[in-house]
Amino acid sequence: MALNDYWQRLTRLDRGIVLALLTFCALVFVVLGLRSPGQSVQVRQNQGTVFNAPLAEDRSVELQGPLGVTRLEIANGKARIISSPCPYKVCIGMGEIHREGEIVACVPNRLLVQVIGQQGVEKENRYDLLSR
Amino acid sequence: MTRSRAIFLLLAFLFLALYFLLRQEAVGPLTRTRIMMGTVVEIRVYDDAAEQYDDAVSAAFAEMETIEELMSPHRPASDVSRLSAADTPIAVSTETLEVLQLAQDVSAASHGAFAATLGRLINLWGFAEGEAQLPALSEIEKALAEIGPAALTFQGNKITKSSAALAIDLGGVAKGYAIDRAITVLAASGIQHASVNAGGDMRLLGDRAGAPWRIGIQHPRQTGAVLASLKLADRAVVTSGDYERFFEQDGVRYHHILDPRSGYPARLCQSVTVVAEQAALADAVATAAFVLGPELGMVFLRETEGVDGLIVAADGSIEVTPGLQELIEWP
Repeated sequence: MALNDYWQRLTRLDRGIVLALLTFCALVFVVLGLRSPGQSVQVRQNQGTVFNAPLAEDRSVELQGPLGVTRLEIANGKARIISSPCPYKVCIGMGEIHREGEIVACVPNRLLVQVIGQQGVEKENRYDLLSR
Repeated sequence: MTRSRAIFLLLAFLFLALYFLLRQEAVGPLTRTRIMMGTVVEIRVYDDAAEQYDDAVSAAFAEMETIEELMSPHRPASDVSRLSAADTPIAVSTETLEVLQLAQDVSAASHGAFAATLGRLINLWGFAEGEAQLPALSEIEKALAEIGPAALTFQGNKITKSSAALAIDLGGVAKGYAIDRAITVLAASGIQHASVNAGGDMRLLGDRAGAPWRIGIQHPRQTGAVLASLKLADRAVVTSGDYERFFEQDGVRYHHILDPRSGYPARLCQSVTVVAEQAALADAVATAAFVLGPELGMVFLRETEGVDGLIVAADGSIEVTPGLQELIEWP
């Protein structure tokens, strides 16, 4: 009842403002709710996708390349290459990836592993590109 | 200001904020990635309706492939392979000529800390083939014979080597040049906000759709960690580090950035990051500064026009040129 009394005491302008603010808040929730809800790991070879799996499901997969088998592990929401037939093991040294857009690649074995989002929208990150 | 006007302004502000939030959500980059030039190349376009530039991105990749065809030492028909095999003056493409001249300029300016004629030495160490090994001193001395700024002479588009045995390697500059060419193709198609990133060496076209690009710099000793970040637009950023390709023998680490004066891996730096207008220049200068070391490297960076940089010395200490200090953020 108190809310009703309060509503009655408001002017038409005040009521309009309250409704506008409620609408604004609802729209913000809708927008934020639509943000990239899930991510997956995509592996490409010679510009074709050879493997795709959710980042949330733990698994290990063997990927065949021209040099042999590269093993990719997805665990605790992160992906990393754990073994590779390439000479310098740079791909193993690149460590884990979990942010949208992050890449691990085994160039000699022609494998490109990338974290992608369901909506294809980039997530907030500390940097856009990494110089190394 | 009346109460109703203040409230109206507040509402207008809130709805404008919502509009920009929605707009930000709608704007996604066009991102395409390929393995080429021995690394991962990623092109991103942030212009409105970026999908319409798909053909332009394909053309940029094609341009980079053309540069690889011309400058790869592993392709027998490339300018670089023909020049390495030649014992008489030979004509090269305009693109190769431009890169060779830039390499010679950086070689001269750095007093021999950079060279385009290290082909024999690089083959001897085996970094390119993935079968790296420690060569004998006598072999290194032989591979260093007649390299340096005077090793090549130019007459129009004809190149003459001072010795038939000299082998060319443009690994320290060709990737940067290919990045520059890709950016030229993107800009020519009307794109205003884009990046071309080849394995961590990159050039930025414009800003990132209204805000500067945030470029992280890889920590040379902590995998996955960022040493610092830079806010940049319309610049190239190239980092040379000792952590990318290396092997260990008898407890000693040998990496792939070779000092043309000694024939051995340069030991004075962990990494050098260079910011310049063009990626080709940044690429060559980063390699030269790495070889020179923190002290002479900083002098070289300061003396090279249009260039700024950050050097991480072998002991982990960091030096930054004055022009970069306002753009750098530490974690």
